[in-house]
Amino acid sequence: MNALNRQIDNLGLWLVWLIIAVTLVFLIAPIVVSILMSFDARSYLGRFPPTEFSFHWYERFFSDTYYLNGLKTSLIIAVIAAAVSTFAGVSAAIVLDRYDFPGKQAIETVFLSPLVIPAVVVGFALLLFFALIGVFQGYPRLLAGHIIITFPYTVRTTLAGLTGIRRNLTEAAMTLGANEWQAFWDVTFPLARTGMIAGAVFAFAFSMDDVAVSLFLTSPDTYTLPVAMVSMMRTNFDLTIAAASVILMLFTIVLIVVLDWIIGLERVIGGGVYRS
Amino acid sequence: MKNYRGAVLLMVPGIGIVLAFLVLPLANVVEESFRLFEPGRIGAAKDAPYTLFNYAELLNTNYLYYFVETARIGLIASITGLILGFPIAYFITRRLRAIWRKIAIGFLVGIMFISTLIRVYALQLTFGPTGIAKILSGLLGVSMNGRFYTELIVIFGLLHYLVPIAAITLLGTIQNINPRLSEAAQALGASRWMAHLSITVPLCIPGLLSAFLISFTLCLSAFVVPMILGKGKILFVSNLIYARFSEISNYPSGSAISIIMLVLSLAIIYGVTYVVSKRLVKY
Repeated sequence: MNALNRQIDNLGLWLVWLIIAVTLVFLIAPIVVSILMSFDARSYLGRFPPTEFSFHWYERFFSDTYYLNGLKTSLIIAVIAAAVSTFAGVSAAIVLDRYDFPGKQAIETVFLSPLVIPAVVVGFALLLFFALIGVFQGYPRLLAGHIIITFPYTVRTTLAGLTGIRRNLTEAAMTLGANEWQAFWDVTFPLARTGMIAGAVFAFAFSMDDVAVSLFLTSPDTYTLPVAMVSMMRTNFDLTIAAASVILMLFTIVLIVVLDWIIGLERVIGGGVYRS
Repeated sequence: MKNYRGAVLLMVPGIGIVLAFLVLPLANVVEESFRLFEPGRIGAAKDAPYTLFNYAELLNTNYLYYFVETARIGLIASITGLILGFPIAYFITRRLRAIWRKIAIGFLVGIMFISTLIRVYALQLTFGPTGIAKILSGLLGVSMNGRFYTELIVIFGLLHYLVPIAAITLLGTIQNINPRLSEAAQALGASRWMAHLSITVPLCIPGLLSAFLISFTLCLSAFVVPMILGKGKILFVSNLIYARFSEISNYPSGSAISIIMLVLSLAIIYGVTYVVSKRLVKY
C-alpha cells in the first residue's frame, strides 16, 4: 500500500513539475520570440529564428509618421486622462472614506462599475452619445473614453491607501490646533500619497494600453498607438510592429519598477485590482 | 464639525465624469436599442418608431451562436487557466524562499501587465505561419488554417493573461491554508497526492471560485484576442458589437447586443460574488 502510494506521489509530483515547466515556457517564449524578431535583419517578415540582427525595424518605427503620430496622441491622452482621473478619483475617495451618508455604498459601486462593464460597451455607448450631441473630433472623444476607464482605478487605490490611515491621527492633529484642511494636508495626504500615485500610474498604464474603447472613438487624424498597431497588424506584414511592441514593453517594465519602488509589488497584489 | 459643503464639492468631479461619460451614454444605448433600424442609414432616425425587433432578432440561432461560442471558449480557457495557475501558485507559496518568491511574483505581475496587443502579436509570431504553426498543427493532425487550430490559438491568447491572473489570485488563498492540515492527513496514512486533493483543494474552493469568476468575465469581454488571433473565423460577442458599428452602422442592433452583454456580465459578476461571500460566511 505504502509503495503504491509513493509511486502515485512520484507520478503526481512529476506531472505537476511538467505542467509548471510547460506553462512557464508558454508564458515566456512568445515574448522572447517577438523581441528577437524585432532585431531581424531581413527586410521582410521571415521565419523564426532570424539569422542576422540589426536595428532597421526600429529605424523604420522612428521614421514612420503614422506610428509617431499615434505615440504622440497616446502620450498626450494618457497624461491628461491620468491627471483628470486622479484629481476626480482622489477627491471622491476622500469623501467616500471620511463621510457617512445614505446611498454611499451605491455611489461607490457606480464609481467602480467601469471595471466590470465590458470596454466595448463603454466605447460603443460613448460613440453613440457623442454622435447625438454632435462631437466628432478625436481628442475630446478619446479623452472622455480614457477618463471613464481609468477613473475607477484611481478611486480604488486611493480608497485602499486611505483606509489604512487611522482616523485618530487626524483627530490628534485637530486637537493640537490644526483646522480640518491643515490636518488633511499635513497628516492624511502624505500618508495616502502612495495610494494616489499608484492610482495615477495604473491610470496611465491602462490608458496607454487601451484598444477596445479607443477603436470606436478615433478620428482619421487622431488615433492612439495601439489603434495604429491594430490597423497595421491587419494590413501589413512587416516587423515594425515587433519594434513597437518592444518599445511599449520598455514602458511596462519602467512602470513595474516604479510601482515596486513606490508601494512594493506584494501590496499591488494584496490590494488586488479586482477584489473589493 | 464636519464640512459637508466641502464634501459635496469634492464629489462633483467624480459624479460629473460618471454621469456624462457613463450613465447618460448607457441610457442613450438603452433608448437606441428599442429603435427601428432602416438598412442603409447610419444609426436609427431621430423619430424612428419603437420596436422590440432588435432583441427578438438575437434569439435567432445565428446570433445565439455567438453568445454560445463566446461562453464555450471562455469556459475552456478559464478552467484551463485555473488548472495551470494553481500548481504555480502552490509552488510559489510553499516551495520558494522569500527572495525567489518576490522574483516569481514580479515575473507574474510583469506578464500580466504586458499590453494585450503585444501579447497577441507575440503569440501570432510564435504560433503563426512564421513560427511553429506547421510543426504544431502537424503534431495535432489538423490544418493550420482550419477552425480547430485557430480556436486553439485564440485559447492560447486568453490563457497568456489568465494564467498569471489565476496564479496571483490563488497566491493569497493558498497562503491562508495551514500546511499542518495536509501533513496531518499524510500522518494518518493518506498519500501526498490524496492529502492534496482531499484537504488543500477543497479549502481553496472560495479562492478558485473567485479566480474562475475573474477569468470568465475577462473572457466574455475579450475583444482584441479574438479580433486578431481569430482571423474572422472566431468572433466573440464584443466583435459582433464592433462589426455592427464598423461594417453596417446598425446602431440599434449594436445597442441591443451591448445591453444583453452588459446585463449578462453584471449578473455573472454579482451573482457569483454573492455565492462566494455566502460560502465564506459558512466556513
